[in-house]
This record gives sequence, structure tokens and C-alpha cells, in this order.
Amino acid sequence: MSTDPVLAVDDVAVHFAARGGLLAPKGPPVRAVDGVTLAIAPGETLGLVGESGCGKSTLSNAVVGLVKPTRGSIKVAGQEVVGADPDALRAIRRNVQMIFQDPALSLNPRMTIGESVGEPLRVRGIASGAALRERVATLLTSVGLRPEHAARYPHQFSGGQRQRVVIARALGLEPALVVCDEPVSALDVSVRAQILNLLVDLQRRMGVAYLFVSHDLAVVRHICDRVAVMYLGRLVEVAPRDTLFGAPKHPYTLALMSAVPEPDPVRQRTRQRIVLQGDLPSPSRVPTGCAFHTRCPRATALCAQERPALTPRDDGALVACHHA
Amino acid sequence: MTDALLRVEDLGVTIGGAPVVDGVSFAMRKGEVLALVGESGCGKSLTALALLRLLPPAARLAGGRVLLDGTDLAALPDRAMRRLRGQALSIIFQEPTASLDPLTTVGSQVMEAWRAHNAGGAAQARRAARDMLDAVGIPDAEKRLDQYPFELSGGMCQRIMIAIALICGPSLLVADEPTTALDVTIQAQILDLMRRLVAERGAGVLIITHDMGVVADIADRVAVMYAGRIVEVAPVTDLFAAPRHPYTAMLLASVPRLDVVPKAVLATIEGSVPAPEAFGSGCRFAGRCPLAVARCTAETPPLNEVAPGRLAACWRSAEASTLLSGAAA
Ligand SMILES: Nc1ncnc2c1ncn2[C@@H]1O[C@H](COP(=O)(O)OP(=O)(O)OP(=O)(O)O)[C@@H](O)[C@H]1O
Ligand SMILES: Nc1ncnc2c1ncn2[C@@H]1O[C@H](COP(=O)(O)OP(=O)(O)OP(=O)(O)O)[C@@H](O)[C@H]1O
Ligand SMILES: [Mg+2]
Ligand SMILES: [Mg+2]
Repeated sequence: MSTDPVLAVDDVAVHFAARGGLLAPKGPPVRAVDGVTLAIAPGETLGLVGESGCGKSTLSNAVVGLVKPTRGSIKVAGQEVVGADPDALRAIRRNVQMIFQDPALSLNPRMTIGESVGEPLRVRGIASGAALRERVATLLTSVGLRPEHAARYPHQFSGGQRQRVVIARALGLEPALVVCDEPVSALDVSVRAQILNLLVDLQRRMGVAYLFVSHDLAVVRHICDRVAVMYLGRLVEVAPRDTLFGAPKHPYTLALMSAVPEPDPVRQRTRQRIVLQGDLPSPSRVPTGCAFHTRCPRATALCAQERPALTPRDDGALVACHHA
Repeated sequence: MTDALLRVEDLGVTIGGAPVVDGVSFAMRKGEVLALVGESGCGKSLTALALLRLLPPAARLAGGRVLLDGTDLAALPDRAMRRLRGQALSIIFQEPTASLDPLTTVGSQVMEAWRAHNAGGAAQARRAARDMLDAVGIPDAEKRLDQYPFELSGGMCQRIMIAIALICGPSLLVADEPTTALDVTIQAQILDLMRRLVAERGAGVLIITHDMGVVADIADRVAVMYAGRIVEVAPVTDLFAAPRHPYTAMLLASVPRLDVVPKAVLATIEGSVPAPEAFGSGCRFAGRCPLAVARCTAETPPLNEVAPGRLAACWRSAEASTLLSGAAA
């Protein structure tokens, strides 16, 4: 088995043109993603965390070809996604699938579960008739549903069951990479645990890699091997899980971690807290230099002028900060 | 309880005949933060709306008493209840932007709340509003007063909602998922603010959430709800250390915690919450409970005192905390 990355993102930027109204002048573009470089190894889970609007979904969408990057390169199992024609993209999609936050929105309400799960296989001519039905039954079983569920419609399932259906469909083509954008955020805690167990179990059995987007750091710590922290369209820190949670370095990572309450009252009440002031700046007016300097407790004059690059540290972390 | 603030007794709400809130009783002291937790659909919001007398048309109050500082809210005439709301009693909902009027400046909305319960001129109202915005940590309060909700971020709108809720100095604040729609860094700011208000003003806060981290952070005591009933009430550290209801234990075990090995199998609760139409006799958790015995489906366990300051509705309460270790396996 090769150890080439299943995903290689190189200096990707996604800028959206600002909406100009009749009266309003056209503003600067929204820099949703602004120069991101990362890679995921086969069978690995990379977590992508950061506040709302920092560009997590935009980057995820770019990886599966739903959004066209302004610049940069995205390779899935060695094949270039950026600028790929529809045929090439179809071939790439075999290797990369996506799971969205809201299972209700990602299933066609007029298709049975069996039709939804079987569709990618049928469309590609991989299976039909009895073979297709059998494959669908196997997929449903692998996500903890029963073969007879194939005849039901999405509304006859709970949220957690619907997310299982979405996962079954994503895995049908045996992709090397599944992009999961907040896959458990819409689910209740008890159901969330079932889906997380399922994702881990499928990874062990099938060797699939995940790009796992979440704002829930406890979930990320549980399921990810490495974690990338994003702020205003850029990565500020990338590190193996234990390094990131054991020795976070970027002031934003520290603030983010201290802001997430630990489900343990004794611990939570003795923790040191860093309460960030102010809100996330608009991605159409990204601050100069380090984008975090306007909220950073450690910012100096240098930070407003010079953008720090992601540089490696002794323990394997990559950090973009002048002072960390 | 000598410094009792709120006492809810046997509160019930039905929807289409189904008991979606069933015999809910709890009490709160002044200056206390009580968290109401439980899975989606278990009746948390309806409990809050019932005690504020703001139930949606489909829901019907099926009895119970709500005593706020000794006044029975359920027996109060509508007008008196309206006067009380926003004054002694305030509510914050989950969606800040949906609760603010988009066509009115935030200043006018905060001032209106003040004037509903205070005599005073426009200048005085404006001063009160500006001071309140300062108090909830909105920078440039003077300038913000003249802005519209769309000009503010979600976190700022939520702070405006809190300002409106607090401007008349309520003795009880009901906050239904006040931070769920917000980012963690903004959530931390809002929780800090609520903590400060409790400390400085001695208000009681009933906070509804499904986030065990938020509970661990801010609650003094916790009431756990399952399928319309309260199944456990306990001080927060006791609840997390040794739950006395199997549902609480399993809920806690299903949350990834620091002391759980990464990628280890998390405990899950098999099955799903029964639909309100399908509530049977006995304990409503019995169908999913690993400790269930015959008695559980035959007889509803009452919410009894199982230790000083701790209530649980379970026939096998003493064994409940053994289920907590499920996650470590
Ligand atoms: N199609 C679009 N046109 C214009 N702006 C967009 C578009 N899609 C996203 N944006 C903007 O790009 C920024 C990044 O959005 P994105 O959805 O990637 O954030 P996110 O990190 O996924 O946030 P969340 O945690 O809320 O899901 C935001 O400011 C958003 O408003
Ligand atoms: N307006 C309504 N019409 C019909 N049924 C309703 C209405 N509001 C609530 N219900 C039902 O009553 C039950 C309790 O709802 P409630 O909103 O109190 O739950 P909750 O615990 O607040 O859940 P969540 O965590 O999802 O907010 C649910 O079964 C819900 O479907
Ligand atoms: Mg997103
Ligand atoms: Mg609710």
C-alpha cells in the first residue's frame, strides 16, 4: 500500500465576490479560505476546527469539488480536483464522498432509503438488480440498520438513523476519503455517541480517511489523529492530537480550548480561562499581518505588520505565530 | 428552603392529550443557577413556557402550581402576568435574531423594556439602556443604541436580548439554550456575563441546555428530564460524580471525556425516546434501561429523596452510577 496522501491541499484560496446592491457599492471580496496547505494520510482522521465563518465548510466543499478555488491545488489520491472536467470529477468522486450536518437535507424525501443508498452504485453501473439490492443490504447492515429498512422513506427514521443512511450511501463506493462537515452536530448526545462509534468502526474495517469538521473539541479529541485549527480562512496551528491538546501553542488555540467547557464540574471550575474580547472580524476585511492580532492578548506591533508563517516546532506542531 | 425563589409543583402540559410535561416539580433559591437538561423533545422548553404562561396554542396546561416569591403565577390574571414578565421574570430564547424586531433600533427595544416598568422620560430611558449595554459588555454602547439588529453579530444580538431581559432587574431569568447558536468564544463571554449577574444581583437563573460542558461550567444544581418527567435532581458535582438515575449515568457516559481513551467505544443508549402517544405505565426509561426489572414497567417510581439534597425517580437508584463506567471499557 502506498503512503501517498489521500488528500493534498496546496495553498488553496477561495474568495467570493461581494454582492453589490443597486445602491451599495461593491465591497472587497470575502476571503473565506486564504492560503491553506494540508495533507491527510490513508486511514487518518484530520480534524478541522475553528469558529463559525472561519472557512471550514468552504474548504470542505472545495475538496469535493463543490466550490471552485480562486487559486491552489487539491489532489485526491493523486488526481487534481481544481479545474477537473466533469468526467474527471466523476472519477475523483469515487474516492471522495461527503457527509453534511443535516441528514434531513441530504436525503431525497421521495426516494426510499434503498434507492438513495444504491443510487451512486447504479449510476456508475457498478451494480444492478439483485446484486445491487444485496450490496445495499450489506451497506445498511454495516451502519447498524436492517436490510428491510431499504423500503422505507427518510421521514420514517430518526435523525440518528438518517445520518446512518447518509453514511451508508457515502461508503458505497468505498472511497479513500470522506469529508464529514459537522456530522454529529445536529444529533442528540446519546445518538452522537452511536455515530462516532460507527465512524471509528468503519475506519478500522475499511481504512477510510476522514476530514472531520467540527466545532466540538471534545468530539474532535476523541476521534481525530491530527487537528488543524483555522482562523479567518487560514490555518494557525496543525498538530498531532495529543500534542495539540497537551501543549497548544497558538494564542487562538489556547483561547478556543479554554472557551470550551469541560463536562466535569470540578475540572471546569478550576481551569484557567482566557475570555477573548470582541467578535470574529469580517472575512471581507481580514486584519493585516496576523489576522488574530486584533483579539490576541499577546499581540505586538510586529503582529499587525507581518503575517507569521506556519513553522514546525520540536514536538511536531506547526504554528503560525510570532510569539509562540 | 428559606430563601426560596421559585417553586414549581406538579406542573403538567398536554399536546393532543399526550402528557408531554408530566408532574414536574422543582424549587430554586435566590442567586441559584439551576440547569434543566435532557434529550431533544423531552419537554424542557414546554416546561419553561408553561411556567411563564407562554405555551403555544397546541399545548394545554394540565394543572400544577408555580410560586414565584410566594405568588401563584397560574392563578394570576393575564394583565398582572404580563406586568410580571419582563419585571420579576424574564426569558431569553435560543435564537437572538428571531426575538429582536429587525425594523427597530436595538436602543429603542432596550428602552421600551425599561419604560414598560419604569416611569421616566426619554433621556432617562436612554441612560438606563446605555448603562445596561455597558453592563452586558457591548463596546461603544452609545453608538450601538442607534443601530439595527442586522448591523450586530449574533453574539451582540444575544447580549442585547440579555440586556432587555435584565434591565428591570428580574429576580428570575429563564434562559432556553441561550448559547447554543453561538460560537464557543462568544459562549464563554455570555456565560461569564450570566455568572456575574447572578453574583452581583442575586437573580436566580433557570438555564435549559443539552450541553454537559455548559452545565458543568455554570450550574449549581441540575434537574434531568426524560420523556416529560424529572428523573433526577442533584448538586452539580454530585450529579457528575455519582448519578443516581440510570438515564443520567448513561447520558454522562456517552459524552467523550478527557479520561476516555481516544477512539474507544463510547457508551450509547440503545433504542429511542418513546413518543408521547406511546407513554406506557411505569418508568418511561424502562425500555432502554439495563437495570430494568419487572417492577419498573408496572409501577412508576416517585421522585424521592435518595440522599441529602438529592432526588431520583428510580427503583434501583443505588446501582445507577455503575453505568457511568461504561465508557472506560
Ligand atoms: N457562496 C458564498 N458566497 C459568499 N460568501 C460565502 C459563501 N459561502 C460562504 N461564504 C462566507 O465565507 C465565510 C466562510 O464560510 P464557511 O461556511 O466556510 O464557514 P464555516 O467555518 O463552515 O462556519 P460554520 O461553523 O458556521 O459552519 C463566511 O464569512 C461566509 O459568510
Ligand atoms: N407547538 C407544538 N406543537 C406540537 N407539538 C409540540 C409543540 N411544541 C412542542 N411539541 C412537542 O412536545 C414535546 C416536548 O417539546 P419541547 O419543545 O418542550 O422539547 P425540548 O426538551 O425543549 O427539546 P429541544 O431540546 O429539542 O428543544 C416534543 O415531543 C415536541 O415534539
Ligand atoms: Mg460550516
Ligand atoms: Mg427546547
